[in-house]
Amino acid sequence: MAGDVMGPSGSPLQDVLETHEVELNLGPQHPATHGVYRALVRLDGERVVGMESIIGYLHRGIEKWCEYRTWTQATPVFDRLDYVAAVLNCHGYVGAVEKLLNLEVPKKAQYIRVVLDELQRIANHLLWLGTHALDVGAQSMLFYGIREREAILDLFEAMLGQRLLPNAYPIGGVRFDFPKGWEAVCRRFLEEMPKKVDDYETLLTGNRIWVQRTKGVGVISADQAIALSLSGPTLRGSGVNFDVRKALPYSSYQDFDFEVPLGQNGDVFDRYLCRVREMRQSLRIIRQALDGMPEGDLKGKVGRIIRPPAGEAYFTVEAAKGQLGYYIVSEGAEKPWRVHVRAPSFINLQGIETMCRGALIADVVAIIGSLDIVLGEVDR
Amino acid sequence: MTDEIKAPGPPEPPPQEAGGDAAPVEKPAAAKPAAPKAPAAPKKWEPTGEVVLNAPAQALAERFGESVRGVKSPCGEAGVLVDKARLVEILTFLRDDPGCAMNYLSDLTGAHYPINDKKFEVVYHLYSLEKGHSLRVKVQLEDGEPCPTATGVWPGADWMEREAHDMLGIVFEGHPNLKVILLPDDFEGHPLRKEFPLGGAQEEMIRSNRYGKPVYLPDDVEEARKIVEEQRHGR
Repeated sequence: MAGDVMGPSGSPLQDVLETHEVELNLGPQHPATHGVYRALVRLDGERVVGMESIIGYLHRGIEKWCEYRTWTQATPVFDRLDYVAAVLNCHGYVGAVEKLLNLEVPKKAQYIRVVLDELQRIANHLLWLGTHALDVGAQSMLFYGIREREAILDLFEAMLGQRLLPNAYPIGGVRFDFPKGWEAVCRRFLEEMPKKVDDYETLLTGNRIWVQRTKGVGVISADQAIALSLSGPTLRGSGVNFDVRKALPYSSYQDFDFEVPLGQNGDVFDRYLCRVREMRQSLRIIRQALDGMPEGDLKGKVGRIIRPPAGEAYFTVEAAKGQLGYYIVSEGAEKPWRVHVRAPSFINLQGIETMCRGALIADVVAIIGSLDIVLGEVDR
Repeated sequence: MTDEIKAPGPPEPPPQEAGGDAAPVEKPAAAKPAAPKAPAAPKKWEPTGEVVLNAPAQALAERFGESVRGVKSPCGEAGVLVDKARLVEILTFLRDDPGCAMNYLSDLTGAHYPINDKKFEVVYHLYSLEKGHSLRVKVQLEDGEPCPTATGVWPGADWMEREAHDMLGIVFEGHPNLKVILLPDDFEGHPLRKEFPLGGAQEEMIRSNRYGKPVYLPDDVEEARKIVEEQRHGR
């Protein structure tokens, strides 16, 4: 760039002016980093030439803490990982314990879990969409996102007694059936929501400013994304068809007819489109689950004290951010020997250095937003 | 080769964490013929269940023979325990072999088993995006024994290995940037080791202090360390 400009004596300007790289510290207390994420960005002019992520500000030692609790007592703490999609975290953990116990969860409980999971996924995507759009400069999207998210949180409150961290599932099933009138409210939400998603798309998808800020920004190829173990919409934005709900079905996801939205270019725009289309698919799944809700028990046969056989299990669910995995080790006692969380935000964040290289500094904020990270899950 | 990893005979009981009373019992056992709890069989962590070998595990067994052994699983998951020396070779084979095509490193972590002969395990969870099969690959390590890095096979192993290094102190040989990731820079110890107290240095001090009263450590690290040392030596 600077080399093309000629100095007064005809020599390239670069020889006359001394230029050097600038190191810029972004975060950890920066609103656009979505939590306490700190990035050390090396800049050449406005271009990013290198980036280092510094994380761990929110490390609470959750994996250690679990080892001092019984299997049941450890359940609520996982809500605190990804605190905007708590139900999905809970599902991952109880699913892993059920797998180790070889426990059959009743069909009805599986369907109720699907309904709550997908509602939570929509709530997460709405909050993500609002904050991401706010980062890029579209302020009004946040209000709409929060408004619809409230409706979902109200549904959670009515059913689970809690809005954000409901500790939704016990090991073996679900606690409650839908309360009286809940299903009608939920169906009304399902009817209204597609129009709202249309509104979001009207606001953003065709918006010239939005497109200019997101298209071709933060590109990551499919091969790079696979090699970096990215998952969720961040991986699917690059065109890789990997959704745990389809690939390794759990909780009766094989019963439902839905599509996995895929991107092509692996840029911020495609990741945005994937998530917005995922919301529509989630609505489809909820409708099918409510229509086909089977009769039966709410909870499988679990003892009061849970003592899985000695051994290990790895169970993954498609959380809002990507593949959420729990690796649990039991020594045949009441307490877990080891619980490890494969946190999708943590691993997706690895991709940021590849995405940001060569981008403008203003785009870094858009790229962080497009990864949909929650630092509670990154740092655990 | 296989036996060497699995169990090198019944050697002296592994140094258990709370084995303080086991050693003194051993000495009078010579005088007393009926040793009360002398054959306290060194409890070892071992998974129960059956060995499941899926397609990639069988391909591995054919190709690498003795270096690969099946691991039992109570829930029907396929898993293998491999030789540390051939780990990278095996992981590369799993990634590149068209029959396995396990191109996705889903997870990498470690676990600490102080009662086992080999105290540490590094666990790789692999998945094939094409074929849809998964495999767990494990490797066992002594305390302080380095593990070859998988960053050459999957760049995504970078942060996962850094995390395992933080939490368990496993050294990954050849890792390009093995520094702390989740813990503070000046943190000492590895929290997910079993001997590490849940409350950290604070709890350690409360336990070791003579009056059993909580003593709050000053912010200054050097000062705090001095107090902990004093308390530990009962002064």
